[in-house]
This record gives sequence, structure tokens and C-alpha cells, in this order.
Amino acid sequence: MDWTLLLEKVVWFGIAAIGFAVLFNVPVRTLPATFILGAVGGFCKLFLLEHQTTIILASLGGSLAIGLLSISAAHIKHAPPLVFSTPAVIPMVPGILAYRMMLGLIKLAGDVTGNSYNSILNETVNNGLKVMLILMSLAGGVAIPMLIARKESVKHLRLKKKITGTDKEKV
Amino acid sequence: MNEASPRNNQIKRVGFILLEIGSILMSSGASTERVRRTVQRIANSFNYKAELFITFSALSITVINPRGSDTYNGIKRTPSHTVNFKTVSGISRMSWAVAEEKWTVDQIRHELSRLNALPHYSRYITLPLVGLAGAAFCRFAGGTVSDLLIVFVATVAGLFVRQEITKLKFNQYLCIYFASFTASLIAGLSVKLGMGGNHEHAFATSVLFLIPGVPLINSFSDVIDGNLQNALIRGLHGFVISFAIALGLLTSMILYKFS
Repeated sequence: MDWTLLLEKVVWFGIAAIGFAVLFNVPVRTLPATFILGAVGGFCKLFLLEHQTTIILASLGGSLAIGLLSISAAHIKHAPPLVFSTPAVIPMVPGILAYRMMLGLIKLAGDVTGNSYNSILNETVNNGLKVMLILMSLAGGVAIPMLIARKESVKHLRLKKKITGTDKEKV
Repeated sequence: MNEASPRNNQIKRVGFILLEIGSILMSSGASTERVRRTVQRIANSFNYKAELFITFSALSITVINPRGSDTYNGIKRTPSHTVNFKTVSGISRMSWAVAEEKWTVDQIRHELSRLNALPHYSRYITLPLVGLAGAAFCRFAGGTVSDLLIVFVATVAGLFVRQEITKLKFNQYLCIYFASFTASLIAGLSVKLGMGGNHEHAFATSVLFLIPGVPLINSFSDVIDGNLQNALIRGLHGFVISFAIALGLLTSMILYKFS
């Protein structure tokens, strides 16, 4: 694995997260955390991709990491988790695949017949399904930590189990 | 005037402010469940019960006092949806303060006007940072340094056009179309002049700053929370935005005769 290349891409993930955060007008105090979340999510995705995972599962892993970390970030910076997680996952949207799917759809609408039609159809359906599943895993990965916690708000949710009051005093 | 009128007045004032909070949250990009929870949290701190009916473009509320003797009903249209996480975050913090410190209606109104007056990021910060985000997309797709530069310029120009056209109060999907068209036109021009190698990287990623991330993510959270109607509508909204982006790209492709 080429670590410098990986590091460079991870930094780009963080920068892209900051760009979208500014576009969504987040509070200034949340920007550093958004950078870190975007970078960590990007790292998880690239790391999984390096280890022969499909792009769909890799995206799910990256967004899961973002969803978990956004809960801690929400406590530290006092803002709802979506403020951190939304800008951080958007850089993982598969733009090139969506573009290829669009090209394929346009070609299918034109005059193509026989074998070339079949190969274009194959490619387009493949790209389209990937785009759809990646988008769903991005949105799902961010939501899953909240679902597992079964809490309506993360306000009273701690990632580490709290030591009960009496134990704490003893320690 | 009967003796119940001051109490009546109070429930009306609370109902009014709850509707306002709900509509601001909805238009700033909060999910349906978040709007409902926040409004109910504030209503509970006044010892009222609130029932909401939330849709994409309007919300309706019934506020009831504990004895059921006073009610307030109201409907408010949601202003046009523009993502603003500063207000979502501010209102969320405020709702906890209201519940814990028992704020009055006037205090809430004061805080709301403060939140509304909070400045957006200036254009000189937004344009380059979003340009860098666009360049990042190009890097993920495997673009070279010249591709990155092209996408940076195209994204900055596209966002500038979007901001200017939004000021002219065009249809929101048309704004997206124009932005996508501008960005892809600039990215395509450099490809046409032979400045970039493979046209796919720069051309395809130049429009990605427009992707409707917030509607699509909120659509998914709404599905999970069981607000299926809103989820469908948000999904459709996101889909139409994507379609407008594709249409802008397509126009450039036809002009440049790319295939």
C-alpha cells in the first residue's frame, strides 16, 4: 500500500468536507471536527478498498465511522450530529459512476441495436445499481449508530459506558 | 373579554412561536423527526402538549393545555428550502436551554431574531473552499494537477453563477441547471482546447459541488423514522436536482459534441 498517496487522498477528503460544511453554513467552531471526520471516513473507505472490499461495503464502512464519531463530536462541540456527519459523507458520493450511468442512459435512448445495446445496458445497470447502493449505504451508515443507541437525542448518550456514581467515588 | 383571555393569549403566543421554529428548522435542512422533537420539547417546557403535521412545504400544529380547555390551531407555510446548519444547531441548543431554564416566549423570540441575524460565510471564503471541494472530487476520480485546476475554476464559476441567479429569484431547479451548465461549459472548454488529457475526470467532477446531499440523507432518515410521505417528497426533490445537474452537463456535451 502506498501510504503517501493514501495520506494525500485522506487530506483531500477532509478539505472536501470543509468545502461542503461552508456551503451548508455550519457554525465556525465545528469546522475542525468536520475536517477530522471527513478525513477519518475517507481513510476507512480507502483502507477497505485496498483490502479487496467492494466499493459499496467500503463506503458503508467509511460512513459508519463518520456516524459513530459524529456522536462524540456533537458532545464536544455542542451541535447536532448531522452538522458534522452530512458534510463529511458527501465527498464519498460516487460522482464518476453517476456520470457514466447518465451517459449510458443517453446512449440507450439513442439508436443502438444488437450486441452494443446489450453491453451498454449491462454497464449502465451495473453503474446505476452501484450508485444507488452506495448512496443508500452512505445515508444508512450515518443513521445506524443512532438507531443502535435507541435514543431520540444524542444529548444524554455517551459512547463509553459511564461508571455509576458510587463506583466513581470509590475510584 | 372573559376571564380566560390572558391564558388564551399565552397559548396563542406559544403556538405562534412554535410554528415559526418548526418552519425555520424544516427549511434549514432538519429531518422531520428532529422538527417534531424540538417543537414538542419546547411545548412541554410551557406545560403544553403539541401535535404536529409536518410536510415539505407547510406545517400544522395543535397546542393543548393539560386540562384540555384551551387549544391553538395553526398552519404555517415553510419558506423555500436552503440548507443552513447554523440555525439548525442554534435552535437545537436553544430548545435544551428552554427546557432546562424555563425561558419565556419573549426570550425565545429574542434568541430567534439573533439566530436569524447570524452572518453567512462571506463569498470570498465560500468560493475558494467549495472550489477546493470540487478539486477533491476530481482527485478521487484520479485527475492530474491540471485537471484539478480546471475543476477548481469551473466550480468557482458555477457557484458564483448559482449565487447570482438565486438572487434573481429564478426557479430553484433552474438555478441548479444554470450552475451545472456554467461549470461543465468551463471544464469542457479546457478539454476542447486540449489542456486536459482525459476529458472524463475534469468534465464529470466539475458539477459535483451541486449534489443534493442534504435532501437525500434526510430522505433516508425520514424513511427510517417512519415519515414515509416526507421521505418520498424529499427523495423526489433530490432526484429533480440531480436531473437538473445532468441536464446542464448534457447541454455542454451537445455544444462541444462530446460523446
